[in-house]
Amino acid sequence: MGPRLFLIVCFSALAAASLASVGVGTWLISTELPEGAQDVADIVIVYGGGIACLLVATIAVLWAYLDYAIAQPLSAIVRGIQTVIHANPDHRIEVDDSHQLGNLPQAVGELVGQLAQARSTVSAAILKATESVEHQKTQLGIVLQDLHEGVVVCNLNHSILLYNNRALELLHIAGEIGLDRSLLRFMNRQPILHALTRLSNRVAEGRHMRHAEGVMVSFVGSTTDGRYTLDGRMSLILDSDDVPSGYVISFEDDTEELAALGLRDRLLREATEGLRAPVGNLRAAAEILNSASDMTGEEQTAFRQVVLKESKYLSDRLETLSAQYRDVITGSWPMTDIYSANLLNNVAHRLREQSSLNAMMTGIPQWLHGDSYTLVELLDRVIRKVGAFAGTDTFELEAVAGERHVYLDVVWTGGVVQTSKLSSWLDDQLEETLGGLTLRDVLEHHKTDIWSLPHRDGLARLRLPLPPAIRPPSSRDTRNRPSRPEFYDFELLKKPAQLGQLGGRTLKSINYVVFDTETTGLEPSAGDEIISIAGVRVVNGRILTGESFERFVDPGRPIPKDSIRFHGITDEMIKDKPPVQVVLPQFRDFVADSVLVAHNAAFDLKFLKLKEAECGVKFDMAALDTLLLSVYLHDYTTRHTLDAIAQRFGIEVQGRHTALGDALVTAGVFLKMIEVLEARGVHTLDEAIEASNTIVEVRARQASF
Amino acid sequence: MAKSILVVEDEPNIVLSLQFLMKKAGFDVRVARDGEEALMAVEERAPDLILLDVMIPKRDGYDVCQTIRANPEWSDIVIIMLTAKGREVDREKGIALGANDYVTKPFSTRDLTEKVKQILDSSG
Repeated sequence: MGPRLFLIVCFSALAAASLASVGVGTWLISTELPEGAQDVADIVIVYGGGIACLLVATIAVLWAYLDYAIAQPLSAIVRGIQTVIHANPDHRIEVDDSHQLGNLPQAVGELVGQLAQARSTVSAAILKATESVEHQKTQLGIVLQDLHEGVVVCNLNHSILLYNNRALELLHIAGEIGLDRSLLRFMNRQPILHALTRLSNRVAEGRHMRHAEGVMVSFVGSTTDGRYTLDGRMSLILDSDDVPSGYVISFEDDTEELAALGLRDRLLREATEGLRAPVGNLRAAAEILNSASDMTGEEQTAFRQVVLKESKYLSDRLETLSAQYRDVITGSWPMTDIYSANLLNNVAHRLREQSSLNAMMTGIPQWLHGDSYTLVELLDRVIRKVGAFAGTDTFELEAVAGERHVYLDVVWTGGVVQTSKLSSWLDDQLEETLGGLTLRDVLEHHKTDIWSLPHRDGLARLRLPLPPAIRPPSSRDTRNRPSRPEFYDFELLKKPAQLGQLGGRTLKSINYVVFDTETTGLEPSAGDEIISIAGVRVVNGRILTGESFERFVDPGRPIPKDSIRFHGITDEMIKDKPPVQVVLPQFRDFVADSVLVAHNAAFDLKFLKLKEAECGVKFDMAALDTLLLSVYLHDYTTRHTLDAIAQRFGIEVQGRHTALGDALVTAGVFLKMIEVLEARGVHTLDEAIEASNTIVEVRARQASF
Repeated sequence: MAKSILVVEDEPNIVLSLQFLMKKAGFDVRVARDGEEALMAVEERAPDLILLDVMIPKRDGYDVCQTIRANPEWSDIVIIMLTAKGREVDREKGIALGANDYVTKPFSTRDLTEKVKQILDSSG
């Protein structure tokens, strides 16, 4: 009951009581009067009525004043407090000055003010804490995204709270994975429940305190669609009272490793137990043939047949088993996919730093499967030995794609290393930390061998075949970016450069820089800019991988979203990069007096030309276009994109769609083209430019229709 | 004159069979039991064909093959490697170092004899 209603009730009761007492008093007096005093009785009634009226009026006035001065302000204060609590913390309580509540409104006002202040302090603190948590969450997210392993965080109901890209990649298949969905929809439940039970029991019994693995347990799981076998580890998340509140699972796709392990086991079993019976048969028959002298011709023939049949069976069986064993790709030694450029770069660096030997990388880098550390050790050791043996300090390192292997070739000027000598080097041990591993062991782990052969032009070569990568990034990268449309500025390519003597030189003997640019769009004259430029040197028919140029450029404008699907370069990536005025002169220095080569060269050249004045450099050297040369060489097809040509020449396209990746592929394509051009009678630079020009003219004529 | 074959093997059991088979096929057969003996035999008189085991003492089969191929005078000698090393990369190494063919043990004696006959007959 509110204060106003309370007053009404109280004062109504008071009025009723007053009326009742006056009424009863009047009635008693009038009944006590003697007979015949009617006049007095009338007077008493009239006075009683008057008193009653006066009482009621007084009570009403009193009520009205109390209601106005006390009850109404109290109600206002109550409403105000409610507003502060539920709606607006900054609300100020207002009460008319005519109230009779003394200091109450003021005191309440102060209290509310202090409450509001305390509250805002608390929310500021909460906000700050939340921001810090958000920041940590973002950091954690970034770390998780970069992890090679899949990571999923769940609560005890298996609802997914957090996951990373790799988890998405491995689990995605069974429908969309998403937050607040059950992990059990994506991973088979039994292994997870079992692991969780083991851990929960371990914690409940307090064993986790002294357990070697604490709150972690390994398990073998699988995706619900059965595509992946997962090598998983589960860790419990404990709250401050050591009560489990959730779990973290990290996992890796172990399908191939486990399959290989299983196959190895089976082969071993078949090679031992499976061969017992046939060897037994063979031995029995041979012994009998040897010892029994009193044998009929028929009996002898029967035993001979056994010997023949069983040895044939053994031969065939052995063949099958060893063929199967060869296919077991992964050994017990841990291996990963490696990019040959990184591997050889490591080798080159070590040779330079520790042995003052020069190693230059050539060719198109390849992806292979191996153990980087021991391979670097092996190559470093062997190359140093070759250096001492052949008396040379300069080497070329090249990765070559073969049908079944990726070859790492080491080339030097001088004699071949005799197999027996090479073989004797392989008994050397690597560093002690590797437990006395020899170079030969490294070869065995990779199921390979190494040999030396004569190379062209009095050079010698060391060849190390290695398994190709199991999942090279090109097969992982499912983004299929569109090719740039063909682009012609006919004037730009038609004009033969002032070549002089260079024009008469053979294509093979000329130094080239094969390059590629990525741009914000297709129209340089409409404000599109270079955002990345890369080139690689080609000398004496070899791609010098180690001598490449690669720069991002700040275009001084935002990168249009539409163009990102072509090049994958975002504003974030070119932030803090130098402008074109810095990069183009650097590129000009890199090019020096080489001939430029590019695919769809007119497009890239146009961008360079437009920046010449601004950058104070000139790109007036001769240029060849692999697109025009392709049209010249393969006029039967209309497919002349870089991908199509690379495929036609059997060049493995790896790391495509970066400026350097594309430049490398273009260089590979260009070298193949030189061979075909020679076969078609195009030998010199002049002749190649002439051949291109005929194509430009044809296309110009086509374009004019 | 009968074509000559050099069998380079250190395992007497298989030498027994190879010698028997090749003689029976009408070839002139010599046997060397290690790498150095093999090279001496070739220097003494170059055979038309060598059946060369890889795992032999002193200098291994690959080394013998490479040495023979390094000498242009011996470029006509046909080299067939006979070996227990059955990996793809071993075969590739053998061919790379100059072997004409690469046969893994165990092999069919009849197939091998046919192969040798075919090669030597076609080389005239």
